[in-house]
Amino acid sequence: MGKAKIKIEKELYQKIEKIAELAGYSSPEEFIIHLLEKEVAKFEGADSEEEIIKRLKGLGYIS
Amino acid sequence: MSEKRNADSLGRREFLQLLMGTSAGLLLNPATAFWRTRGGKETGLKVLVLGFDGMDPILVKKLLEENKLPNFKRLAASGSFLPLRSSIPPQSPVAWANFITGTNPGGHAIFDFVHRDPKTYLPTFSASESLPSKHTLRLGNLTIPLTGGEIRNLRRGKAFWQILEDHNIPATVFKIPSNYPPVETKQRTFSGMGTPDLKGYYGLFNYYTNEYKTVTEEYGGGGRVHDVYLIGNQLEARIPGPNNPFKKGNPETYVDFKVFVDPVNPVAKIVYQDQEFILREKEWSGWKKIRFEFIPSQSVSGICLFYLKEVRPKFKLYVSPINVDPASPALPLSTPESYSQELARKFGPFFTKGLPADTAALENEILDEKEFLYQDELVYQESMAILEEELKNFRSGLLFYYFSNTDQRQHMFFRLLDPGHPAYDEKLAREFGQVIENTYQQMDKALQLALEKADRYTAIVVMSDHGFCPFRRGFNLNTWLLQNGYHRLLPGTRPEEVSLFLRTDWSRTKAYGVGLNALYLNLQGRESQGIVKPEEKEALLKELAYKLEQITDPLTGEKVILKAFISQEVYSGAYVSSAPDIILGFNRNYRISWNSPLGMFPRELIENNNQKWSGDHMAAPGLIPGILFSNLKVKAEHPALEDVTAGILSLFGLRIPPEITGKPIF
Repeated sequence: MGKAKIKIEKELYQKIEKIAELAGYSSPEEFIIHLLEKEVAKFEGADSEEEIIKRLKGLGYIS
Repeated sequence: MSEKRNADSLGRREFLQLLMGTSAGLLLNPATAFWRTRGGKETGLKVLVLGFDGMDPILVKKLLEENKLPNFKRLAASGSFLPLRSSIPPQSPVAWANFITGTNPGGHAIFDFVHRDPKTYLPTFSASESLPSKHTLRLGNLTIPLTGGEIRNLRRGKAFWQILEDHNIPATVFKIPSNYPPVETKQRTFSGMGTPDLKGYYGLFNYYTNEYKTVTEEYGGGGRVHDVYLIGNQLEARIPGPNNPFKKGNPETYVDFKVFVDPVNPVAKIVYQDQEFILREKEWSGWKKIRFEFIPSQSVSGICLFYLKEVRPKFKLYVSPINVDPASPALPLSTPESYSQELARKFGPFFTKGLPADTAALENEILDEKEFLYQDELVYQESMAILEEELKNFRSGLLFYYFSNTDQRQHMFFRLLDPGHPAYDEKLAREFGQVIENTYQQMDKALQLALEKADRYTAIVVMSDHGFCPFRRGFNLNTWLLQNGYHRLLPGTRPEEVSLFLRTDWSRTKAYGVGLNALYLNLQGRESQGIVKPEEKEALLKELAYKLEQITDPLTGEKVILKAFISQEVYSGAYVSSAPDIILGFNRNYRISWNSPLGMFPRELIENNNQKWSGDHMAAPGLIPGILFSNLKVKAEHPALEDVTAGILSLFGLRIPPEITGKPIF
């Protein structure tokens, strides 16, 4: 899978580095990817993982 | 002549003459022969189909012998009563899709309630998908959709009423499952099982209490518990609605409401929007409208029921899932759209959620058995009222009419018929052990209504999609795959803490289970991280099927899986390649466990089912056929769901399209 680079301000990166370490992420990159994935999921409509589970459980067949 | 005699008086020969006339007439000239085409829409022959979800032939036979189903008995005596072969697997969306399309899952692409995305391995709902608007305009905190989102019905294949439409034969199809959103047609259709509530869930109740109470699942278990505080004799709370598509981040909408509790009597007043009503303790409100506002010019309307369960010592208020308002449907409920509005004008608000009974509220002891049944009785009464109206208007073509009560009540009350069930309760059995029998008798009343309204030119078909059996023990398929080396987790993982395969080592995993009856191989070229080479597939499937069929329950000594069906051997059609690789046909008393379908690995391989949801239909289809009654003689010895479809088309004299695999039964 290909990778793309993005640029962010150094000052912001330093903050991210600190928070990522405090939050137990293995790298700032992992932290950023996690945050972005969460945000992207919000825009992908109702079919996020959590939403799928909530919807399916309402059927009664799964708990 | 009484209407009752009318229904009975159509002799076989006379009917066959009528049918032959129909058939020949159509072949010669549909406009001038037997088919009268007043406005192109009138047929001499009428076909009336009643669908009673999950009605079981063994129970029916027993009740017939006890003379408790007089109208079924009368129908059987005038024609036929046979078990009806169900689908593989016998789950409602699959089974009804077999009937709708006249084919098998390979032809209609509904294989289970739950499918999976081979790219992500995540479960998806099999029947429909929602696609958000692709084009939006951001204005500050608002996101304005420039084009509408889309809801897609994922069932493939042509519905039988679309085929009838091609031949100008009118049809009304009320609440048939596996038809949400309703497929495009000029026929009158109303969607059934698969239709969500206004939040897009398959039922989310709200419960307001100052008693400590948790629902088994925080959300998704079908409900949400709200802690409320009575200050003085007043409390304030909110009813959550759909997410707001117009606001950044799509926050949940809500409606604030107030409750004023009488200081002396067990009575409360509920106030919101323009609604104000008083409920006594243990009283239901009847349908109430509720409007959720997105932005000042955009809102959606829903309907819900309030039930004041208790005022003191603890306050307990139940609010049903918000159903889509049929008078102003925010989601596609019917074709034409006006059909829903027409029914709402005649009957006022009515249940529109696909599975209307609130099984989750009973499961979580928010409603007790009596309260659950009260609500499901409303479903029945509404169904009877609309059936009566449809029968009154039924002058031509086909009418299909569906009842959900049989299925939903059997799911919840089978434990009380079965002293061997882990959730059997003697006291409850004394009080509610007759619920299923009573429900079958209610279906007999529905049939009576149909028989009374049917005339001598009406072919009557009464059917169910599958039968029922107890669900005593749950099988953890993914745990079995893990224990037998077909599934691997990443090092250091505690299996019982995993869900959605989030710790699976796909580079070493050969198989996984998603859904209620389905097993998939981790196939190269299909799954995103597949490792099973196509040339290894067949041998691996045979190996898995053989081993699965050998599993016995150490507690009972019984086989857990009666038959592991290899899908490419039992399905045909354009979508076989999308099917799960193996479909599990469970033995009587067994089913997939509660957690395995969502990619979990519970510790026990087979566990007791202690829940109220105690009857099910995931067995090998041969164990739990549905029912088939007709006032015509059924020629087929072992008819299947798809054969009924072919039979109906043949009654109208139509040629059976090649994609229909069913054979005419009449």
